[in-house]
Amino acid sequence: MKELQELAAKLLADGAVQVVLGYEEGPRGVRPAFITDPAQAGRLVFDARCVQNLATYLNPRRKHIVQLGKPAVVVKGCDARAIAGLVRERQIARASVVVIAMRCGGVLQRAEENAALSSETTAARCAGCDAREPKLYDYILGELPPDPPVNASRAEKIALLEKMTPAQRKSFWDEELSRCIRCHACREACPMCFCVQCTAERALPQWIDPSPTLHANRAWQMMRVLHQAGRCVDCLECERACPEDIPLGLFARYIAGAVETRFGYKACDDPAVPAPLGVFSTEDGEEFIR
Amino acid sequence: MTQRFLSHADLAALVAAHKRVIAPVRAKDDARQTDYLPIQALADAALGAALPRRSLKEYFLPPTEVLLSYRQTKEGVEIKEVPTQAQPQVILFASPCDAAALEVVDKVMDWQYRDELWFGRREATTIVGLLCSSMDSSCFCSAIGLGPDSPRGSDVLLTPVEGGYLAQVITPKGEALLAHCAATEASAAAVAQAETARKQAREKVENNAPAIPNEFGAWLEENFDHPAWKTMALRCHGCGACASVCPTCHCFDIVDEHDSSEEGVRRRNWDSCQTAKFTLQASGYNPRQSQSERFRQRIQHKFSIYPKRFGEILCTGCGRCCRVCAGGMNLPEILGGLIALAKKDQGESGQ
Repeated sequence: MKELQELAAKLLADGAVQVVLGYEEGPRGVRPAFITDPAQAGRLVFDARCVQNLATYLNPRRKHIVQLGKPAVVVKGCDARAIAGLVRERQIARASVVVIAMRCGGVLQRAEENAALSSETTAARCAGCDAREPKLYDYILGELPPDPPVNASRAEKIALLEKMTPAQRKSFWDEELSRCIRCHACREACPMCFCVQCTAERALPQWIDPSPTLHANRAWQMMRVLHQAGRCVDCLECERACPEDIPLGLFARYIAGAVETRFGYKACDDPAVPAPLGVFSTEDGEEFIR
Repeated sequence: MTQRFLSHADLAALVAAHKRVIAPVRAKDDARQTDYLPIQALADAALGAALPRRSLKEYFLPPTEVLLSYRQTKEGVEIKEVPTQAQPQVILFASPCDAAALEVVDKVMDWQYRDELWFGRREATTIVGLLCSSMDSSCFCSAIGLGPDSPRGSDVLLTPVEGGYLAQVITPKGEALLAHCAATEASAAAVAQAETARKQAREKVENNAPAIPNEFGAWLEENFDHPAWKTMALRCHGCGACASVCPTCHCFDIVDEHDSSEEGVRRRNWDSCQTAKFTLQASGYNPRQSQSERFRQRIQHKFSIYPKRFGEILCTGCGRCCRVCAGGMNLPEILGGLIALAKKDQGESGQ
C-alpha cells in the first residue's frame, strides 16, 4: 500500500499525471478516489474490497473526468482488459494513461463487505482468473498472492442454464428481465459502452421501445449483451449498478462462453490482439450460411 | 391521536380480511434483502429485516404505465383514457421514510395539474407504518426532520410491544381500517414500552448526519456556480440508480408507442435527471453537459428548488441512494460537506 501511495504522490508531484484514480476508504467500504494533490496520496488503499473497475472512468464520454487532465489509474488484471479494450477500439491512446497494475489475489463480492476471502465471499468472477498478474501496465506493484478460494456459484448457474431447454431458459430470463426498468444504469457504468448515441435512444427510427415492457426489455438487454460479445471484460460494473439486481453478468458470461467456443477468443489485456467483432477474418466459420 | 393495542392475531386477521396487502418480504435472490410485495398472510412479511431495496413509489407511480390508447380513423383520432380509480390496498409495515415520501410527492402531483392516476392510487391505499428497526449507517431521516418513529404519511403507525403492537391511529382512514379489528385500548405499560422503543430507535440514527439548516436551500441557490460542484461528482457514473430507488424522485417521460400504423398507446416511464438524455434538446444541444452539472441538479432540486416551491425537502433520508451507488457516492457525506461550506460562508459574512 505504501508503495502505491508513494508512486501516486511521485507521479502527481512530477507532473507526469494530474489525477490518480485509485481506491479509498469510504462511508460504505472501499470506493473510487480521485487524487489530484500529492499530499492526499495517503488516502489510497488496495485490498480485496477493491471490486470496482476504475478503467470505466477512462471512458471518453465522462467529460468531468477528462477535464482533470492526464490520469494514472490503479487496475487489477481484469480491469486492465477494459483499458486494452478502449485502446483496441480507438477510444483512448495507450500513452494517454499511466497504468498502475496491482497483482491480485481475488476480490470480495461487495466493496462494503469486510470478510476474509472464502468460497462464499470471494467474487465468483475470480474463479479461474488468468489475469491476476496483469500484463498491461506502466508500473506493477505487490507480490502475487496465492490463488483465491473458488466461488463456484456462477459456474453452477451457467451449467444449469446450459442444461435448460430453450423454453426453460426463456422463462428464466423473462423472470429476470421483467424487473428491468430501462434506466440504462448498466450502460452508464460500463467501461465498454461508449457510443455517443446508444441505439436504445434513437427515436427515428425507434429500434427499441423506450418503455420497460417485457418485450422491449428483452430487446434492450439482448442488444446490449450481443454488442458486448467478445468485448465484455467481466468487471460486473453493470450488475453492481443495476437497481433491480438483475444478474446481467451471468447473461454476458453466457455470451462470452459462446464467443470463446466459436472464435477461440477471450477478452484480454493485450490491445494488439483483435476482438472477433472488430476484425474481418476469412477463417471465421460460415457453416450457418446455407 | 388514539392509541390501541393489536395482538399478532389481530394483525393476522386484518391481513386476511383484505384482498390486497403489500408488505416487506424476504427477497428471492438475496436472503439479506427485502422487497415490498403482495402478501397472502401475515407470516409472509419479513420483520426486523433490512429496509426494502426499493421504495413504495412503484405502487403509486409504476416504472411504466399506459395513460391512454389511440386509434387513427378516417374521421380523426379516437382516444381511450385509462381508468383513474384504483383497487383498494393496504400497505403494511411501511418504513416511516417511505410513508413520508408519499406526502412529500403529493405536493408536486397536485401542483399545476392534479395527477389523477397518482391520487387514484393514493386514495385507494391505507398505509400502516412500522417503527423502523432496520437503520444502518446510511440512514439520515433525523437530519431531514423525520425519524424512525415519524407518523408522517402513515394512516396507522405500529410500534412493536410485548405480545403485539401499539397502534397510533393517525388519520380517519386509519380509524376505518381498525374499526373492524379486535384492537383494544392500549395499557399504560404498552404505551411506556413503545415510548422507550421509539426513543432508542431515534438515538440509533440521530448521529448519522447533521440536521439540514433552514437557510441551506437559499445558500444552494446562491452558490449555483460554487467551484465545489466541479469535483463533487467525479465518482458518479451518471447511471441514475439513485433516482430509481429514491422514494421521492418522481420525474417521468411520456412516449407514444405504435402497435401498428393506426394504433398505439401513450405511456409514462420513470426518468432521471442523472442521465445526459434528460436535458438533451432536439437541436443536439445539452444545457447540462457533464455529470457535475447533472449531480448539482439532483442536490438543487431536492434541497433548494422543491423546498422553495413546496416548503418540503425532496428527500426523506432513507439512504437508498448510498446503498445502491456503484460509485460510492454518499448523500449524507455530501450534504455534510455542503453544510460546512454554507456555515463557513455565514461565519465570514457575520464578521
